[in-house]
Formats: sequence, C-alpha cells, structure tokens
Amino acid sequence: MKRLLKWIGGALAVLLLAAFGVLCYMAGSPRDAYGMVRYALPHMHRGTLRVGSDAPDARLLALDGTTRFHIRERLGARPLVLVFGSFT
Amino acid sequence: MGDIVQIYNDYKDHADFLTVYVREAHPTDEWQMKSNVKDDVCYAQPKTLEQRVAIAQDFTKHYKFPLPFGIDDMGNAADGAYAAWPERLYVIDETGHVAYRGGMGPFNYKPAEVRDWLAAKYGAVKHEAPAAAAASSTANPTTPAAASASAPDKATAPTQASSTK
Repeated sequence: MKRLLKWIGGALAVLLLAAFGVLCYMAGSPRDAYGMVRYALPHMHRGTLRVGSDAPDARLLALDGTTRFHIRERLGARPLVLVFGSFT
Repeated sequence: MGDIVQIYNDYKDHADFLTVYVREAHPTDEWQMKSNVKDDVCYAQPKTLEQRVAIAQDFTKHYKFPLPFGIDDMGNAADGAYAAWPERLYVIDETGHVAYRGGMGPFNYKPAEVRDWLAAKYGAVKHEAPAAAAASSTANPTTPAAASASAPDKATAPTQASSTK
C-alpha cells in the first residue's frame, strides 16, 4: 500500500512538472507561466455579454481628467466601436 | 494598435469609436513583460484615477492616438460590465445592442474581425496609412494586442489607396 502511494505521488509530481513545463513553453518563461495562471486564467471566461445583449453603461473620465461622460451617451445613429485596453 | 488606428481612419465617417482605458495589463508590480522593459513602457498599477489619467495621457501622446478616449473609474465599472481586461473589442449597433463581441486579448483580440464587421455593413475601405499610424504600428511591439493582432493583418492586407466598395 505504501509503495502504491509512493508511485501515485511520483506520477502526480511528474505530471505536474510536465504541465508546468508546457505552460512555461507556451508563456515564454516560468515567470510568464506564473503570470498567466495568476492574472490571466481567472479572466478567461469572464462576462455574460453576447451578441444581441443590451450594451451596458459605465461612466468614464475624459483625458482632460475632469469631464465625465457615459458610454451610452456615445450611442446614436451610427455603430460604436469600443476598444478596451491599457498601455502595457 | 496600428490596426485599430487604421480601421478608425478608414471607417470614422461611418461609425463612432471610443477607446476605454482599463487597468494595466502588465504593470511593474504585477505581471511585467520583458518587452515592456525593453521599450521602457513601465508603469505600476495605478492606485488613483489621477494616475490612470497620467498613463492614458502618456499613451495617447506617445502614439499620437487619434481615437476618442475615456478612462475607466477605479471601481472598474466598464471593465466589469464588458469583461474588458486586458483588452477586448466590441461593436454596439445603432439600437444599443452588442453587434460584435471580440475575444479576450491578447490571443483573441482581433481587429480584423471589427474591420470585417464594418466592411460587411459599409463596404471595404482602406485608406493610405497616415505616417503617424504607420509609425505607431511598427513602434509598438510591446502591446500584446499589437504584437498578436497586427502582424497577420500586415501580412494579409496590403494597403491600397482609398479603395471604397
């Protein structure tokens, strides 16, 4: 029994190492693999919006740092392309 | 980034555009990318709205970014509503409904799909790339979206002079 547990433990360790190796290869480095698991994976299936959903509203700040406006204020007679992102 | 600027230049007479700055994807105090260090695009995750504004201003200044711009609040309301982080594209139609929902960046951030949506509605448009946009397209390999999304476009969509269908 003890021997079997050792084998199972060893096999699991090898599998985990292999999975981490694959992730490092995909991400580019162990640090990026960690970043992917820590920061990206939790966001992978976030959100419930679908094509046809009502576009949600949110209040934004303009680049001048003082003017505020709502996304839905920009909706009108033409389609609105929304581009979400950051500098880094 | 250059792809989006090009799409903006091509379709701004037909559609409205709004860029929404959300929290940083690769800040120095979280998951910093080597490419950002190399290109000196190093910012800590903003803790205040003023810090977000400062980074957004740096961004638009650096790339001479012409699209209308808004900044998400510190409660990340826009990010939460649109599941936007780290980057994502949407098209909202004239009735206020989601007409196109892009995938999560960087791997599924595909400006070409937005172009296709607009082209299906208004016809294919491809103006000559302005010098600033062309420069930003090549000088911004750090942004994951640009790195992953712009290369295929450049390979498959040669610039044509003002061809409107």
